[in-house]
Amino acid sequence: MDELLNVKYDVASGDFIRGGEASSNIKKLLQQLGVRNDIIKRICVACYEAEMNIVIHSVGGYIEAKVFSDRIEITAFDNGPGIENIDLALQEGYSTASNLAREMGFGGGMGLPNIKRSCDEFYIDSKVGEYTKIKIIVYLK
Amino acid sequence: MKELFHSVGLISEKCIGCTKCLMNCPVEAIRVKNGKAVIYNEKCIDCGECIKVCPYGAHVSIKDSLEDIKKFNIKVAIPSVTLYSQLGQDVSPQMINDALLKIGFDEVFDITYACDIASEVLKKDIEKVDKPAISTLCPVVIRLIETQYPTLISHMVKMITPIEISALMIREKYEKLGYHNDEVGLFFLSPCPSWATKVNSISRNDNIRIDGVISIDEVYPKLLKNINKNIDIENKPSISSTGLMWAYSEGQSRAIGIDDYIAVDGIKNVIKVLNDVENERLSNVKFIEAYACPSGCVGGLLLVENPFNAERITKKLIDKIDFSYQIDDHVVLESKFIGNNRKREVSQKLAEDFESAVKKIKMMNNIINMLPGTDCGLCGSPSCKAFAEDVVKGLANLEDCKFINGGLKNEG
Ligand SMILES: Nc1ncnc2c1ncn2[C@@H]1O[C@H](COP(=O)(O)OP(=O)(O)OP(=O)(O)O)[C@@H](O)[C@H]1O
Ligand code: SF4
Ligand SMILES: [Mg+2]
Repeated sequence: MDELLNVKYDVASGDFIRGGEASSNIKKLLQQLGVRNDIIKRICVACYEAEMNIVIHSVGGYIEAKVFSDRIEITAFDNGPGIENIDLALQEGYSTASNLAREMGFGGGMGLPNIKRSCDEFYIDSKVGEYTKIKIIVYLK
Repeated sequence: MKELFHSVGLISEKCIGCTKCLMNCPVEAIRVKNGKAVIYNEKCIDCGECIKVCPYGAHVSIKDSLEDIKKFNIKVAIPSVTLYSQLGQDVSPQMINDALLKIGFDEVFDITYACDIASEVLKKDIEKVDKPAISTLCPVVIRLIETQYPTLISHMVKMITPIEISALMIREKYEKLGYHNDEVGLFFLSPCPSWATKVNSISRNDNIRIDGVISIDEVYPKLLKNINKNIDIENKPSISSTGLMWAYSEGQSRAIGIDDYIAVDGIKNVIKVLNDVENERLSNVKFIEAYACPSGCVGGLLLVENPFNAERITKKLIDKIDFSYQIDDHVVLESKFIGNNRKREVSQKLAEDFESAVKKIKMMNNIINMLPGTDCGLCGSPSCKAFAEDVVKGLANLEDCKFINGGLKNEG
């Protein structure tokens, strides 16, 4: 089915102040579309965690949201350093977050598991030294 | 739909159409139209920021006056717990209650009793909602959640506030005494404008109806004149120390003895915390106490004492008082303390159906690309983005933007 809307936000590495803006913009968009609140909530959580992972663990990237009549697709892409062992990264509690990030309340190793739990389809792909790409799909009906 | 009542109003003659309020409203509820500010009712959360920033005194809080109590045969005052911090540390609550009787009230209800009941109900209520539970004492925070964070409604505790509990108990008492409900006038002495809206919203429920909201800064000078420091305090009932805790930020958590909580004050800070709750960053926190005003209700807009000294005086009082009400378990379990008014969700959607909403968003994005992004405010909207949204909603015309208007002229 056709893509109806597409928005894209750059996410900068290490920017804890503005980190979260992409997800809150996407939340506003979904509210304006009249998407059901429980669905917005799930997308918000997934989107925020993916965005903060870019801020905390990567050199920077973007978040893109695509609206279809039956689903929302979110892509979180960054330009590295990539994830060596994806299975390990997906385990609850596994984290390599820096001390700074931990002081800010991140680093519980719950982000990726929560993203997976919040969406209907979850894809992750990464190449060490190159990129990490996460795609999530949430159905609207 | 019934028009929403709000406790912040505008005196049109005083407004010169500057953009102070426009730029400072935390929820972008104000526009300037034809040189005058306009408050969009469905967005306004009654926080009173516009009253604070208006240099011309054009934004005012709408409330009742002490004159209004004369309409009733029996006049009952429900003072906010913050009142007891307003007349200095040497004036006791008993002296203040005594002065309230002198300025025309027949009874002063002890709101700290209602607060003690509220604390016990709250302890149980916290367990019944999504975690973290969010306090519903501050009407501004409730409106903020209803309008901007509908996904968090399931986190709000369901109990009624100490103010409503007071009203309920007073009405019960006078009914038993054989009075007609309309003879008894209940007046809340309020620290803030937002209570006028809240009280209006419960006005059709006869059991908890409050007939008026009077600001503490209005009664203050009259109280000052009527304080008698020589009254026999020993023979007057004490108010409760734990009840008084409801006056300041962190007090509710202290009153219920919870260890894992966040107390947040100031509307911008509240917004930050609610964002984190929405992103499930605070799921391990048990309870969130959130207040629009700095330091909690002692920071209310209609108070006289500065918030920090008011908090200090309240805490001194709490230390001095050695009394709390013992609340029976069967009282706590009474369902009357749980609110049945379902929280009103306010939708932000641009159109009834999905396809039309998509169209409007596309239009909006096209408009945003045409705008300079300087958020100058000259169009009467608080930002370029808000202006674009206003245009697609039919609330503004594209030509209202001086940039676009000027640009077109140049080309022609
Ligand atoms: N975009 C990314 N680039 C590189 N490594 C990543 C990226 N996202 C996640 N990781 C790796 O996967 C681990 C687990 O991620 P996850 O989001 O589950 O936990 P966290 O970010 O460490 O902590 P939390 O999300 O609970 O704050 C991270 O610690 C990091 O090593
Ligand atoms: S925090 Fe401020 S606005 Fe909220 S109830 Fe208290 S005094 Fe009123
Ligand atoms: Mg993470």
